[in-house]
Amino acid sequence: MIFQHLADGILTGAIVSLGAIGLSLTMRILKFANFSHAELLTLGAYVAFVFLIFAKSMDDVLGGAIGPFSFGLSLIIAAVLAGGFTALVALLIDRLVFSRLRARAGHMTLVFASFGIALLVRNLILIGFGPDPYYYSRTLQKAIRMPGDILVMPDQIFVLGLTIVLVICLHLFLTRSRAGIAMRGVAENPSLASACGIDVDAVIRWTWILGGVGAAVAGVLYGLTVQLRPELGFSLLLPLFAAVILGGTGSMYGAVVGGLIVGLAENLSVMVIPASYKPAIPFLLILLILYVRPKGLFGDAK
Amino acid sequence: MRSDWGVHEVIGFFSYFVFFMIIALIFGIAVLGLNLQWGFTGLFNAGVVGFMAVGGYGTAILIGRERDAIIGGFELPFAIGLAGGMIASGIAAIIVGLATLRLREEYLAVATFGIAVSIQLVALNAEWLTGGTLGLIGLPRPLQTWIDGPLAYNCFYLALVITVVAIVYIGLERMVRSPWGRTLKAIREDETAAASLGKNPTRIRLEAFVLGSMLMGLAGGLYVGFIGYVGPFDFQPIVTFQIWAMLIVGGSANNRGALLGALIVWGIWTSSGYLVSNLVPATYQTQGGALQVILIGLLLVLILLYRPRGLIGEEDHVSLHAAAGSSRTFKESS
Amino acid sequence: MRSLLLAAAALGLGVVSQADAQESCPIKLGVVLPASGPMGQVGERIAETGQFAADLFNEAGGVKGCEVEYLLRDTQGQPTVGVDAAKSLIDVEGVQALIGAVSSGVSLPILTSVAVPARIPQVSCCSSSPSFTELAQSGETDGYWFRTYATSRTQAAMGALLTSEQGREKTAVIYVNTDFGVNLAKQYKKDIEKLGGTVTAMVAYNESQQSYRAEVTSALDGDPDSLFLVAFPVDGATITREWLSLGGTSNLIVNNSLRSGDYLEAVGPENLADLVGYDSAQPRTESVATFNSLFEERFAGPPDGPGLHSVFDAVNVVLLAMEASDEITGAAIRDNIRNVTSPDGVEVYPGVDGIKEAKALLAEGKTIRYVGATGPLQFDQWGDVSAPKLTWRFEGDKNVEIKYYPLDEVDALIQKLDN
Repeated sequence: MIFQHLADGILTGAIVSLGAIGLSLTMRILKFANFSHAELLTLGAYVAFVFLIFAKSMDDVLGGAIGPFSFGLSLIIAAVLAGGFTALVALLIDRLVFSRLRARAGHMTLVFASFGIALLVRNLILIGFGPDPYYYSRTLQKAIRMPGDILVMPDQIFVLGLTIVLVICLHLFLTRSRAGIAMRGVAENPSLASACGIDVDAVIRWTWILGGVGAAVAGVLYGLTVQLRPELGFSLLLPLFAAVILGGTGSMYGAVVGGLIVGLAENLSVMVIPASYKPAIPFLLILLILYVRPKGLFGDAK
Repeated sequence: MRSDWGVHEVIGFFSYFVFFMIIALIFGIAVLGLNLQWGFTGLFNAGVVGFMAVGGYGTAILIGRERDAIIGGFELPFAIGLAGGMIASGIAAIIVGLATLRLREEYLAVATFGIAVSIQLVALNAEWLTGGTLGLIGLPRPLQTWIDGPLAYNCFYLALVITVVAIVYIGLERMVRSPWGRTLKAIREDETAAASLGKNPTRIRLEAFVLGSMLMGLAGGLYVGFIGYVGPFDFQPIVTFQIWAMLIVGGSANNRGALLGALIVWGIWTSSGYLVSNLVPATYQTQGGALQVILIGLLLVLILLYRPRGLIGEEDHVSLHAAAGSSRTFKESS
Repeated sequence: MRSLLLAAAALGLGVVSQADAQESCPIKLGVVLPASGPMGQVGERIAETGQFAADLFNEAGGVKGCEVEYLLRDTQGQPTVGVDAAKSLIDVEGVQALIGAVSSGVSLPILTSVAVPARIPQVSCCSSSPSFTELAQSGETDGYWFRTYATSRTQAAMGALLTSEQGREKTAVIYVNTDFGVNLAKQYKKDIEKLGGTVTAMVAYNESQQSYRAEVTSALDGDPDSLFLVAFPVDGATITREWLSLGGTSNLIVNNSLRSGDYLEAVGPENLADLVGYDSAQPRTESVATFNSLFEERFAGPPDGPGLHSVFDAVNVVLLAMEASDEITGAAIRDNIRNVTSPDGVEVYPGVDGIKEAKALLAEGKTIRYVGATGPLQFDQWGDVSAPKLTWRFEGDKNVEIKYYPLDEVDALIQKLDN
């Protein structure tokens, strides 16, 4: 039983990690806790869904489901499009609301505004798509039995693999590209960075792009392994924040490890407490880390 | 519609008015608590409803009658129940406040959001304490046996709530005008400067946060005492949104604004449900609730952007929250 | 200001009581239902069906020659909003009876803080919580509470009966964490153990979660040969999919709410061939057939969905009770609800002609027995009713009835399980 919970924990943790990276970067570079970040996951998942409806007619070109997976090439394309669209929306929201408030209000006003935006996005999706769930594919995938009597669905293995690939790509971006290095500079020392002539506006744009793409892909993957609902992102909000705070804000690897810990803790918790208390686990993790090691596992002192 | 206004109609309206005021003013107390946290101290509480729930359940457990398999049912007097509920809310506030207030401010936002989620789970699942999904039924309403007739009783309860609001209002007004209150605002505007003047920002913010949360607990307790029942449905996340809307519309950092906001937003909210079910086309009816949230959410963001002081804003001060420019000057009111 | 003074004066003198009779036309009926919010879709159809009942009553001449005005207010699924709505209906509109609400968590505060204090009867189509029975037994409802929807007791018994008839011995239970689900699941456990089965796991789930993987994994523990699932269609589909994906047995026993096309479509008919379920049945009487055909005529579709039959009867019973009252007051309606559902009354049926006949009988001073969309309604002393049951399964893309259990068989089953 414990192996099953461990495996489930890693698989859900991977998705949390992916979403948490962007949140961690915004918290560090833009200096506010963006409560609307989780809604970007929902948005990405639904954008991909809309594309898949159109792609149905192109199944001949794109081919159907691949191998043991429940999806085909069209879902990959959908995820890419969702990433792009979500990044655009994130930039738009920043332009319309956050950038204006940054200029003239305390940063807690930004937190407040992000709360309002989260509500707006969630309810707009609710109006547009209704409360009922959607599935990328209606075929019911049967789990395969792995060594150690662990049941895993092929799609979940894909999710884990893709997460690893994306984290590596992101690592390369942050360490090799000019924009990535500038971002790290701002994250580590904003005043020094701007003194060195780094274009802070460009860094802010890149932050939203990375955050948006990461969120959208995480949303698509979450939608793939379970289903799409307007509360998709909202249900991950607390796990995302827990992952960021656990890992230490601004630390990409911290967010990844934090996400895995959150996923594991949630899934292992059901062995000792009733499953209905599970959504409280991220909160307990947050309290624990803030009392014990407030800068997070990988964070540097503020 | 109505041709003659007889005594019945007048009494009917009066009776409903009393009822409406009770609920709106109970919300008003929670808004005053939030105003102390956000308006005067700049603390973001994303889990208002959680603290109301703790107060409500705390009160219910203390005043409720004995029931099988449920802890509590102490049948204590209502005032003690209220006090107990407030203390319970205060303890919950200390737990999250101690963890977060010495750190980044938004950690408080995250933690309060988290505690509200967790409290709702406890309300829903801890049958031995909260009665689980059934809630706690048949709670005695204060002095009910003494007062005959529903209207007379509601008038009594309104008087009680008004008294509580008045005490809370006067108390808060005195506090925010005291040196302590001025320190609060000083910390809100410029923490480093305040700290350099020898104030301990963490401690003072914790005090404001705990006190504000206790007021939310008081609101929860008064609500439960009035309804005579408490269940997990009573404290849905949407309530946090409603309380925030009341504060922002009324104008933060102004206690009169907070109360006014409570009356206005609750009035709009109750009547818009009626409007939605009458005006919105049938196919969109089921999403009427979402529509309502969108409209009020949009209103909030617009107020933040264009009229940050709300209807009645902070008086006499130039504030980071209120001012359109980013002036950092801080002017004392007296 | 003058009005307030007047009101205060009246209050002070105590001359005018709130429960004043409503004399003038039209006769108002207060209805509080969730037209928006999470239960909005369910609530809206219920509201329309209630309106339909009122329309038919008006066609038959209304109450005491007055037209019935059906005043619907939205609770938004929120207790505070529902309580406010009920209060304004009673105080401002002067209604003498309330229909609603759907969720027990909304109906309860309305009952305790509005209906009972104002001495106005409240008839719910849909609230199934045993708390109401408990309140009634402790004398706190003063007899003002009624519901036309059977409590969860019989549902548990039917679930257990189905499980044992299928020959299952080790059953996992996954249930929705609401008063409805919790009570049903607990009672089911008692019942199935009485019938010789065992429960391997009892797992509650919270509504509207994205994934139920952890819950399903817990329920799989102990290698059950069947699953008793108490859920609503959306979450139920998620759980069923995850359950089957993770290798859970396809021997499902499900509650009435999952007898829905949405659930079937979301999980896929090919995966649900071994599923069996139970549901409240409408008795095989003429009255039910009449209702069904009336409904189809009006809405161009069958009355499938929770609460439709029961709200139709709730409205009719209240309106008949008003007709039977000398003065239309809350207390008179409360008492006359008994007189229009009396077991030894003359049977009357829904529809324009039926209502006309009922009114004629009442005018002669006779007691009647309303036999409606849910069959012969009979409130026990706590305001509860019981109903016949049926069992069903999916066949292709529709659900088919397996067996019908009339009221006396259901009662016998309960007797057997309770002793």
